[in-house]
Amino acid sequence: MDDAAGTRGTAAAGGAGPVGPVGPVGPVDPAVTDVAAAAAARARPPEETYRSAGEWIRKNLFSSRLNSLLTIAFGLLILFAARGLLNFVFSEERGWDAVRTNLRLIFTHAYPEEQYVRIWVCVGTLVVLTGLSLGLFAGRGEGVQLQKISTVMAGVGAAIALGVILREPSVLIGADGAVVRENDDVVRQSFFEAMADRWAWWLAAAVLIAAGVVLRRAVASSKVSISSVPAVEFAVALLALPVLSAWIYPWGHFAFVDGTFIAEPGRTVAMSTKVPWTVMWLLVVAAMALGRLMRRGFDEQQQQRMRIPLNLLWLASPFALYWVILRDPHLEWDRVLSVDIPMGVLFGVIGAGVLWMLTRPGVGELGRIIAIVLLGVAAFNWLAAFFGWYSMLQKARLSFLLLALVALAAHNFAGESIKRRRLVVAWLVLMAIVHYFATLMNAPSTVETPTEALIGGFAVTVIVAVFTIMLSFPLGVLLALARTSRLPIFRVMATSYIEVIRGVPLITILIFFAIILNLFLPVGMEISLIASATLGYTLFSAAYLAENVRGGLQSVRRGQFEASDAVGLSTTQRTVFVVLPQALRVSIPPLVGQMIATFKETSLLAIIGVFDVLRMANSVIPAQTQFLGIKREGLLFVSVVYWIFAYTLSKQSQRLERRLGVGER
Amino acid sequence: MSISDATVAVSEELAARDDMIVCRDVDKWFGDFQALSGITATIKEQEIVVVLGPSGSGKSTWIRCINRLEAHQNGQIIVDGIELTNDLRNIEKIRSEVGMVFQQFNLFPHLTVVDNITLAPIWVRKKSRPEAEELAAALLERVGIPEQAEKFPGQLSGGQQQRVAIARALAMEPRVMLFDEPTSALDPEMIKEVLDVMEELARSGMTMMVVTHEMGFAREVADRVIFMEGGEIVEVGTPHHFFTDPTEERTKLFLSQVL
Ligand SMILES: Nc1ncnc2c1ncn2[C@@H]1O[C@H](COP(=O)(O)OP(=O)(O)O)[C@@H](O)[C@H]1O
Ligand SMILES: [Mg+2]
Repeated sequence: MDDAAGTRGTAAAGGAGPVGPVGPVGPVDPAVTDVAAAAAARARPPEETYRSAGEWIRKNLFSSRLNSLLTIAFGLLILFAARGLLNFVFSEERGWDAVRTNLRLIFTHAYPEEQYVRIWVCVGTLVVLTGLSLGLFAGRGEGVQLQKISTVMAGVGAAIALGVILREPSVLIGADGAVVRENDDVVRQSFFEAMADRWAWWLAAAVLIAAGVVLRRAVASSKVSISSVPAVEFAVALLALPVLSAWIYPWGHFAFVDGTFIAEPGRTVAMSTKVPWTVMWLLVVAAMALGRLMRRGFDEQQQQRMRIPLNLLWLASPFALYWVILRDPHLEWDRVLSVDIPMGVLFGVIGAGVLWMLTRPGVGELGRIIAIVLLGVAAFNWLAAFFGWYSMLQKARLSFLLLALVALAAHNFAGESIKRRRLVVAWLVLMAIVHYFATLMNAPSTVETPTEALIGGFAVTVIVAVFTIMLSFPLGVLLALARTSRLPIFRVMATSYIEVIRGVPLITILIFFAIILNLFLPVGMEISLIASATLGYTLFSAAYLAENVRGGLQSVRRGQFEASDAVGLSTTQRTVFVVLPQALRVSIPPLVGQMIATFKETSLLAIIGVFDVLRMANSVIPAQTQFLGIKREGLLFVSVVYWIFAYTLSKQSQRLERRLGVGER
Repeated sequence: MSISDATVAVSEELAARDDMIVCRDVDKWFGDFQALSGITATIKEQEIVVVLGPSGSGKSTWIRCINRLEAHQNGQIIVDGIELTNDLRNIEKIRSEVGMVFQQFNLFPHLTVVDNITLAPIWVRKKSRPEAEELAAALLERVGIPEQAEKFPGQLSGGQQQRVAIARALAMEPRVMLFDEPTSALDPEMIKEVLDVMEELARSGMTMMVVTHEMGFAREVADRVIFMEGGEIVEVGTPHHFFTDPTEERTKLFLSQVL
């Protein structure tokens, strides 16, 4: 109806258009007022609004004969597919108990029961960080419309009802009255009887639809004074539902005690699972509340400043959680006191001295020369270690390299003593962190596991993916910069690296790193399977990331380079402050695509013998005596878990794109 | 004044004390194509020079050689007593003394207006952030858009963007400002706001070299006009001489086309 009026208005406007200007002089023509109305309407872009669902359906699905035909055909196809899926998922033959009971196995494999608290500490840390970030930064002014919630509730209810009808009864009576299919001695005499068995589903559907309708009415009659609820809070509150279910629903019980798996289907979850999950939920709520409180207490600028430490915590957390908590390093204090600490202090002090000298106001060209010499020495250290001429400790080599790199950038901090001091302090902090983690990484783990893999399941998937993404990103950016550099030596090295890696299948690289790498390493140095696999993934992924970043670099206009040069920025400054930010922004979609690919490619870990989540579903669970041969359920579940993570990543990337789009040209 | 008059000013030393830009026999090729041939000119301190000429005559190429966005192959370019050679330190020094404003603004789209202006002062001049921000605020006031500091370039009109670009160049406290057709990418109603800023800058005693097609600006603000064609300087003179009584045929032809 609205639309009809609109059309009339437009038609009138078209016809009366030329008359418009003389309107005031001539007799008052109703068409003229129409023109004004149409003009007013045109001031805003015409927005398609529909009065009812029926109208939407008529306009979008059945607008023409062909469209109607297509709608019906694809509608039937979808119903058919849904029916097939429902019959698969809800068939009495499905052993979902295998998945439910083995949830702990799927996510963490054989992590020893008595040390499980470490896993909870890790999850808890991440949960607190998430809560703080959400509380401080998320959902500023975003809300979910109550009306939308009511629609979703009713929609889910309707979908459940449809599903219940769609799914075939497991027991069918043929036209002649004979039983076509039966299950567990239950013989339903009719379709209605089979439907009646599903009363719980019917009830759920009815409750949801009713609740949706009631809520909608309440909102429409404005009996409820609010029209929306805060989105983030709402989502966190919803999380209470699965947590609550752990106390009520018999998900099954799994434990790994004294080297044996205990799997008991049909039992409620053990206290050691229920309580931590409840605690986790409380933690996220508390952290979010704290974040909100801080947000209220801080002004805009202070909030922005909070971003830095919080993001640093996020960045540091994988390293700390993995090497400090999950592995629980066993430190030999004699060695720590006699070697590790003195070496760290030595590098800190000498490096600080070098940097202080290199940032003297008048140091000029000499500084660059010294930095390049340092870089040469650092590179030579690695070579020497590789060929076994002399071998410094890994840590020393790494520190040397870092010193050279920081020295290269030192001239940016030359001049005022406040800047010089800042650089020196940053160096000391860097050394403290690097030496701390290096020491922890080199120490053996106290967590004893029956299998070679420390932890398995989805945890290992996440660990490998997170470290690969974190390490390959900077490497990829450096490679892209090298490939577009003016210096031929960098260009040739980067190009050959990228082209070689891109020409080799990932699985070959993984097998090389998993099996052969240890043979190449200098005597006395060993590297765990997960670490070598991560290294392989990192080198592989970096080559692809580099190509994505290079695409972004090429999209930066020449004028940006010229403007940077014209205001006197050095090449490094130009790259860091002008070119890279723009290049990375453009390459967010392909970069995230590559990250998602990396995440999914971790499933190849199963092939080199790591107990990752895919291997759990594909071979570990089907080998358990209780669940012999049950494979499809696990695979379906694992696919869903992968999908949830990949989809979340891609959604977040879209959000990031939108947020950074502010300054787009 | 003629070309030879301009070069007389150069004595035995590199350049006279108040010579800001000295070009001697500058040649520049793009491949086989000679874009500049034998450019010789001197620009004094506080002088406003407008460079005119048909499209493709080498105006941009010349002005870009002066801060080494393009490298010349023959001849000498001396800016504020420093000769432009391949020596990186000289290039850096000259670039921080010479401000440039481009036809396409070339603002950094990912940075706010104030960050655009403070980037170079902080990292090249090593100013502290509050100091640089104070300077930026003063400059935005000067170009007439103090209220736009927190916006991104994409949210500004063309005229506002070009004024930000001028402020960004001024933030380095340059001794010379180069303008390469600063108003050519602007809608007509925005040209004046940019020209006003440039006029104010000229009155404040800045040395300026301006490539433009705004004849009004040339007539009223310029101390001298240089006319180029085919990569050569054809005629040099005061605006009065240039617009009323040009000597060269080619100049007359050009003027008859544009006026
Ligand atoms: N990067 C380049 N490569 C090749 N030729 C160029 C390049 N830049 C400019 N030219 C040529 O040099 C001549 C002078 O160009 P330019 O200085 O931009 O002229 P103007 O600014 O006077 O219009 C033109 O013929 C142009 O085609
Ligand atoms: Mg030009």
